[in-house]
Amino acid sequence: MTKTTTKELGTLILALIGVGIVGYLVLQTLGGQGHAAFNTTNLGVHWGLPIVVYDYFLLTSTGLAMIAALAILFGSETFRPIVKRAAWLALAGLAGGVVVLMLELGHPLRALVAIPTSFAFESPLYWKAMTIGVYVLALLILIARMLKPDWDAKALRAHAIVILVLAMFITAAAGVVYGSNSFRPFWASGDIPVAFIFESLLGGLAFIYFFTYLAYAFDADAMPEGVKRLFNGALPGLFALAIFVHLLFVLARMVNGLYGNVEGLQVWQQMVSSPLFLAEIFIGLLLPLVLMLLAATRSRPWAQALAALLVMNALLISRYEYIIGGQLVPMFKGTWAPDLLSYMPSTTEWLLLLLAILVSNAINAFGELTLRLGRER
Amino acid sequence: MAKWGMVIDLDKCTGCQACTTACTMENDRMPGENWQDVLFYTEGTYPNVSMKWFPRPCMHCEHPSCVSVCPTKATYKDPNGGFVLVDWNKCIGCKYCQVACPYGVRFYMDERAVIQPDIRTVFPSNNDRLWDPPYKGPQDDPSRGVGIQPHGVVSKCTFCYHKVSKAPAGAVDLDEDIPELKEHVPACVRVCPPKARFFGDLDHPDSYVNKLIADKRGVRLKDETGNKPQVYYLSGGAAAAVPALRSMTGPDKA
Repeated sequence: MTKTTTKELGTLILALIGVGIVGYLVLQTLGGQGHAAFNTTNLGVHWGLPIVVYDYFLLTSTGLAMIAALAILFGSETFRPIVKRAAWLALAGLAGGVVVLMLELGHPLRALVAIPTSFAFESPLYWKAMTIGVYVLALLILIARMLKPDWDAKALRAHAIVILVLAMFITAAAGVVYGSNSFRPFWASGDIPVAFIFESLLGGLAFIYFFTYLAYAFDADAMPEGVKRLFNGALPGLFALAIFVHLLFVLARMVNGLYGNVEGLQVWQQMVSSPLFLAEIFIGLLLPLVLMLLAATRSRPWAQALAALLVMNALLISRYEYIIGGQLVPMFKGTWAPDLLSYMPSTTEWLLLLLAILVSNAINAFGELTLRLGRER
Repeated sequence: MAKWGMVIDLDKCTGCQACTTACTMENDRMPGENWQDVLFYTEGTYPNVSMKWFPRPCMHCEHPSCVSVCPTKATYKDPNGGFVLVDWNKCIGCKYCQVACPYGVRFYMDERAVIQPDIRTVFPSNNDRLWDPPYKGPQDDPSRGVGIQPHGVVSKCTFCYHKVSKAPAGAVDLDEDIPELKEHVPACVRVCPPKARFFGDLDHPDSYVNKLIADKRGVRLKDETGNKPQVYYLSGGAAAAVPALRSMTGPDKA
C-alpha cells in the first residue's frame, strides 16, 4: 500500500466515523423530537438552515458539473487534470445535500415516489427533482467512461453537452423556486436563475481548488505538472472573474434593496450592518479576489487554497442570507409577530451542515481512493 | 357546480375572535394552528395611535400559487366547489406551499410547540396522527386535509369542506339563518356575532355574496399577486380597511 493510498484510506475512515457519530446524533434527536428540533416556525421562516445546506451543496454540485463539462468541451488537454475530480466531487457534494434534504422533509420516502408520479409540470420543484435524477445518472455514466486513464475528451463531447444543459437547468430551476415569488421582493427577480448559475460556477471553481490541494495534503510539490500548470495558468484568472461576477450580483441586489421602498426589502437595512454580511463581502469575496488578481499571490498554493476556502464559506453565508432573508418579513401575521423575524439555527440544524460536509468528504475520499481522480497523467 | 366564496364586512367585524375559536373547535386545530385568525395591528405613533384588526382565513384562490408550486400535486383545487385542499396522503412536507402562499395561511405543525405544555405530548396519538384531542369532530378525510393531520404534512383551512360539500344541491347562499342550511355553513361564518361574514356561490349571479361584492365594492387581498382570492372584503371606511402592508407595526408603517 503506497503512502498516498494510506492517506486516502485514513481520510475515508475518519469521514465515515464522523458520518456515523453525527448521523447517530441527528437521527437520535429527530427520532425523539421530530422537526421540533429545528428552529423554523409557522411565523414565517419555513425553510431554515437545512434547506440552505441542501441548496448550497446542490449548486456547488451543478457548478462542478458545469466546469467538468466545459473543460471537456473547450478545455483541451489543459483542463484534463480536473475533469474527473470535478465530476466526482459533483456527485459527492450532491449526496451531502440530498442527505440533509431527506432529513428535512416531512415524508422523504414518499417524496421518492410521489414526485415522479405526480407530473406536476407547473412546479419548479418537480422539474428540479426530476432533472436531478437524470443528472446523477449522466454523471455516473460520465465517470464510468473516464475510468480508463487514456479517456478521450473528444468522444465525451456529446455527453458533456448533456451534463452542461442538465446542470444549468437544475441551477436555473433552483433560482426560479425563489425568484418567482413576486410577493417576496427580497427574493423576486428575473435575474436570480442567472445569478445562481454564476454562483454555482464560482462554487465549483472554489471546490476544485480546495479539494485538489486536499488530495495532495496541501503539498504543491506533490501535485502533477499538469495540475500545477493549470492552477498557475488560466484558472486563477477564471476564479477571479467568477468572484467578481458573483460580487456584482450581490452588490447589485444590495443597492436595489437599500434604495427600494417595497415592503420586504427592509431586510437589507438590517443585513448590511450584520458582521456575517460584512465578513462575506470583505473576507469571503474581496480578499480572495485580491489574492487571485495580484501577480505576487495568484500562483501561490497557500493563496489559492485560502482563497478557495474563503469563497466556499462566503457562498454558504450568501446562500443563508438569501434564503433566510426572503422569509424574515412575515406574511400577514399581525402585531404579535415582529416586523422582522429572528432566526438562529438549532444545534440539530448545525449538525446537519456537519453531516453534509462529512458525507461529501467520505464519498470524495472514496473516489480519491478508487478512481485515481486527476492522477492518470 | 358552485364556486364557494366568502365575504367579510370589515365595518361589522369587532375582532372578537369567535371565528378563530369556532374554527379551532370545529376542526380540532392545535394552539398556533390558526387556520382562521383575526390579526391585530397598531397603526400610527403616540399620541395618534389606533388599533386595527383584520380577519384572515385561507383565500381559497382561483389561481392558487400553493397549488402551482406543489411538486406532488398534494395541494389541489377541487373543481367541485373551488376549495383549495391538501391530500395528506401525497404531501411530502417540503413546505414550498407555505413559502409560496402570500397570505401566510398554511401550517406545518411538527415544529416546536408555540405554547407549553406541548399538546402533542399531553394528548398523544397512537394512530400516527399529530395528536389525539379528548373531544374531536367525527370528520376525517386525509385526502382532503380534513380531520387531524398525520406527521410531516402541511395543513390549511378547508372552508369547512366536511360541512359545505354536503349542502343541498342548488343551495346558493349558505346562511346560518336558514334553518335547513345552517349545518352546512362554515364554522367561522356561523358563529360570527355581528354577522360580518357571508358565504355563498360566487358563480351564481343572484347570490347574496355577489350582491354584496357589487353593492359595496368588495376587494380581494393582495390581488396583484394574481392568485385571485375567493374571499372578498367590504370596507366602507368606518372600521378596519384591507391592509396594504404585511407588517404594520413600527413608526414608519403609520
